[in-house]
Amino acid sequence: MGESGGDRGAQMTSMSQSWFGLALIMIIGVLALISLYMGFQSYGTDNQDIAYMYMLIGATGFAAIGYMFFRTKAVTVQQKTDVTRVNVVTTLECPKCNLKRVRDFQRGDYVFKDDEPCTRCDGKMMITRIAQKKEEAGKKQPTEL
Amino acid sequence: MIPLVGQLLQTDSELSMIIQTLFSLAFIVYIFYAQRIQTLQMLRQVEVTLRKVKSIRDEGRETAIKTINDLGKPGKDVSADVDRFMDHFVISPIDMDPAGVVWKLKQILDTREDVWEYEVKNIAPNASESERNNIENLLEASMALNIYYKVVRHYYLLGKKTMNIYVIMQIHMILPMLMQEIEAYSSALQAFQEGMPVGDSVGAIVAGKLMHGYPNKEVAKETIAAEVPFEGRMLIVMKARGPGGSVGEPGEAIRNILDKKKGKVKIIITVDAAGKLEGEAVGSVAEGVGAAIGGPGVDKYQMEETAKKYDVPLHAVAIKEGIEHVVSPLVDPLFDGVDKAVEAVKRTVLNYTQEGDTVLVAGIGNTVGVAQ
Repeated sequence: MGESGGDRGAQMTSMSQSWFGLALIMIIGVLALISLYMGFQSYGTDNQDIAYMYMLIGATGFAAIGYMFFRTKAVTVQQKTDVTRVNVVTTLECPKCNLKRVRDFQRGDYVFKDDEPCTRCDGKMMITRIAQKKEEAGKKQPTEL
Repeated sequence: MIPLVGQLLQTDSELSMIIQTLFSLAFIVYIFYAQRIQTLQMLRQVEVTLRKVKSIRDEGRETAIKTINDLGKPGKDVSADVDRFMDHFVISPIDMDPAGVVWKLKQILDTREDVWEYEVKNIAPNASESERNNIENLLEASMALNIYYKVVRHYYLLGKKTMNIYVIMQIHMILPMLMQEIEAYSSALQAFQEGMPVGDSVGAIVAGKLMHGYPNKEVAKETIAAEVPFEGRMLIVMKARGPGGSVGEPGEAIRNILDKKKGKVKIIITVDAAGKLEGEAVGSVAEGVGAAIGGPGVDKYQMEETAKKYDVPLHAVAIKEGIEHVVSPLVDPLFDGVDKAVEAVKRTVLNYTQEGDTVLVAGIGNTVGVAQ
């Protein structure tokens, strides 16, 4: 159904956003480390002011990383679609000739409903099963030990 | 890069000095602020969950409004009514003197049922009875989501206000279990909106399979029963009247049937969904004794009282499912479990009764999306 396609789209967007955030954090981290390194190299020489500036930039970089870790998590979750919608299928069976047919669920379907004429004989097909599509239901099964 | 790594290994290099300084700083910060950092981390996790719960709660509200507009065609804005519904509450009776508390609870629950029926009829005047039942269930799911949201928010704000780690820990520790329940209710929205059978409907489907094709009559409010001959015995099979979402009044129904039959029932078999432990297979069937029924306990009490009055043994068949299945659209293993449960009922009848006996089979649970 369209909804699950939308879910996948939202998931991909949030995934790319989290990769972008991670890359940004990595870059800032490397730059902050280099800045600290240069600060320590300049420390004890004539360029004392420059050394302090580099160290300040480095420390600010690390503080920014800490803050970004908190922020990116909240924003990613906020943009995700949280309500689960599943694909449900209706199974119809002809009590006369045992013909089985599976179609998407439609509003108004219910178990034991005489739904539509059988395509093979003159019987009426009855709804025997309304369940989640197998591959979706399968994902939720726990590992058996 | 390689010279940098090389420098790390030298104890007197500038890079190792930087790393040491950073570690020392982190250590000092941790000594003084460890608990505060932990509190902030937990608060952050609760906040993330709260955002998620809020979006599910909002979706529940929107789904309820949309469904009422689609099915009930009220011709007015029902948002205010839905909001009022979402704050509806039930006060349990006082149990300091427990004698007769079940009947007091029953009266309160009956009043609640009447109020809900009236209100839903009012906001969805053009919906059929089945649709009204589904709307009631949908509103109940939305209401539950609203309560979860408000409780999580309460602890989050209280924790933020007091910055007390023990206040925050209370909600933080149960977050995974809470989320499991909230996600279960979120899948209930789709099921009740569309009128699909849910995990709790398995008992009703078992009864439906046994009674399908036989005439039925109402034995209690929203509860029907049919007489089904089986191997020389007479099965009285009962369930809530479907396909609208309802659990009926099985306790009252069993009492009415046994009173009418003057207790001439050999055994009572109750079939219901039961919570599984982690590791147990979904749809596995277990047999036992007692009244297989959940809920606030009124129906269970009535069943046990009636069974005791007429000295009728209570047998039970349980179909196992996880909390995530209870109100979500059914999964195939549960339908397979239904077939196994039908066989278990038949086996119990053959093992514990003789030809000519009457057996009462009660399919317990919500009959949404299941006729008879």
